[in-house]
Amino acid sequence: MNASSLSPSQPSRSSFDTKVMRKTVLDMAYAGSTVHIGCAFSIIELLAVLYRSHLRYPGNDPLATERDYLVLSKGHGVMAQYACMRELGWLKDEAFSGYFADGSDLKGLSDSRIPGLEVTSGSLGHGFSVGVGMAMGTKLRGTDQKTYALVGDGEINEGPIWEGALFAAHHELRNFMVIVDENGFQAMGRTQDVIHLGNIQAKFESFGFEALSIDGHDEDAIDRAIKQLWASQSTAPKALIAKTVKGKGVPFMEHNNIWHYTRLDQDSYAKALAAVAGSAA
Amino acid sequence: MRAAFSDALVRLAKADPKVLLLTGDHGYALFDNFRRECPAQYINAGIAEQNMVGMAAGLARVGFRPFVYGLSAFIPVRVLEQIKLDVAHDKLPVVFVGDGAGFVYSHLGTSHQATEDIACARSIPNLAVLSPADGHEMSACMEIAFQHAGSVYLRMGKSDRGHVHPHPRPFAIGQLLSVKEPAPNVAIAILATGSMVTTALEIANSHYPDAGVWSVPSIKPIDEYTVAEICLRHATVVVIEEHSILGGLGSVVAEIASERAPTRVLRLGVRDRFSHFCGTYYYLLHEHGLDCDALVSRIRRFVNGEA
Repeated sequence: MNASSLSPSQPSRSSFDTKVMRKTVLDMAYAGSTVHIGCAFSIIELLAVLYRSHLRYPGNDPLATERDYLVLSKGHGVMAQYACMRELGWLKDEAFSGYFADGSDLKGLSDSRIPGLEVTSGSLGHGFSVGVGMAMGTKLRGTDQKTYALVGDGEINEGPIWEGALFAAHHELRNFMVIVDENGFQAMGRTQDVIHLGNIQAKFESFGFEALSIDGHDEDAIDRAIKQLWASQSTAPKALIAKTVKGKGVPFMEHNNIWHYTRLDQDSYAKALAAVAGSAA
Repeated sequence: MRAAFSDALVRLAKADPKVLLLTGDHGYALFDNFRRECPAQYINAGIAEQNMVGMAAGLARVGFRPFVYGLSAFIPVRVLEQIKLDVAHDKLPVVFVGDGAGFVYSHLGTSHQATEDIACARSIPNLAVLSPADGHEMSACMEIAFQHAGSVYLRMGKSDRGHVHPHPRPFAIGQLLSVKEPAPNVAIAILATGSMVTTALEIANSHYPDAGVWSVPSIKPIDEYTVAEICLRHATVVVIEEHSILGGLGSVVAEIASERAPTRVLRLGVRDRFSHFCGTYYYLLHEHGLDCDALVSRIRRFVNGEA
């Protein structure tokens, strides 16, 4: 079974409506009885803006050689990326209704064998370095391709993030942007209680990045910040710190880490759908 | 062997600008020539091996051909998960070169000694494992590694034990290389890899003049048919390696023998222990029972059914 067959000829007409994308995540999470809903909801607006206005896929081809790279280093949020890939026509509806069915290929974490997903992540602290390598490679090739690495705030506990940050700054990878989904939670609780991260923007700045902090659910603010960082004359790599809400869009999931682990039942699915439908567009 | 490695790397890099050398701040004099000849293809990734391997994956994804160099204690052992997930999972064309394998850093202790690297690497899908014995095998291994449609771990152990082949010895991946022809109907065959091929030849020449000796520079993949043939023709197959007896070449041969040609396989290597002391390379071989006298004694007792 290959539910994720591509339709690369189908042009993108999506507006990346975040209500639709949240509904897609809920539908697939319910169909597959899966977890990791909260960490998908915190990056919906970030991904919507990236796919709508920034990522370039010539011919709407997820494997186009000259594409920009979006590395989902926090592989746990992959359902949000699947929702974008549906908007692009890269994934068919059957992939969502059959999520987690025996023999299906969309997994609970990012798998690079799916066109559109650049890395196999879920073990944290990997994708950032792969993205730095992509940025280094496209710089060496002299192309104008850009690489984005989307990491979780919990994920930046991992050492390779900071190894890669040193390298990116030393080599002036101005074509590289890390986006930190600062939702304030990691697996076992609040980041401030597990490993206090302090000021993430200041940390990246001290590593030689040019950094901005924004409301990660304000699409205009996200768009402006990305444009501002790319427009900079500085040769520094870029960091966008997105203050987000884990579980954003469904009040009973917001700031509630249980939705990192909890599966939807019929009742909670219906309530979540109603909340998403009623939320502001 | 190190000169053969350096020469091959320079030759490959000059022929293909997509070849990059990434080092984790190791290989000081080894890369003098490379840095002089191909400065734009040299990346010192700093003392940050995990990030270096992830970056190699990213570089390979955008079309480059990275060679990632480090000590075998770090490449592949320290970065095994990066190799598995970032590189081998997608058969990316990255060549990992682990230098100083076995007891090369005999005075430095456990952190710099690697006797588990083959076992780690060969259990990862899509990752080939090469282990040359001399400069000629190294030259051939570099060519194989560059041409291979997948990821490669190239193990570089003790490098100054002389040539086991008198001439350049190109070979196909998987091939076993006869370095001493057996007499007809001899009971013992000796297989070895890396530094221990020289030792195997010394043992055969001094104590088992009729025995055949094969060098095994390609541990994965390996020509199972030839291994099974050797097992079928000999009552005892001795395997010698400067690596743990758990998961190395001895295990490979034993696995093939048990399925295809049951015979007695004696695995001679590091017996599931760390080094206790330091000293010269040859002192450490002695400590681990990998000097010629100790090995001959083990073989004799095994053949006599005493061990």
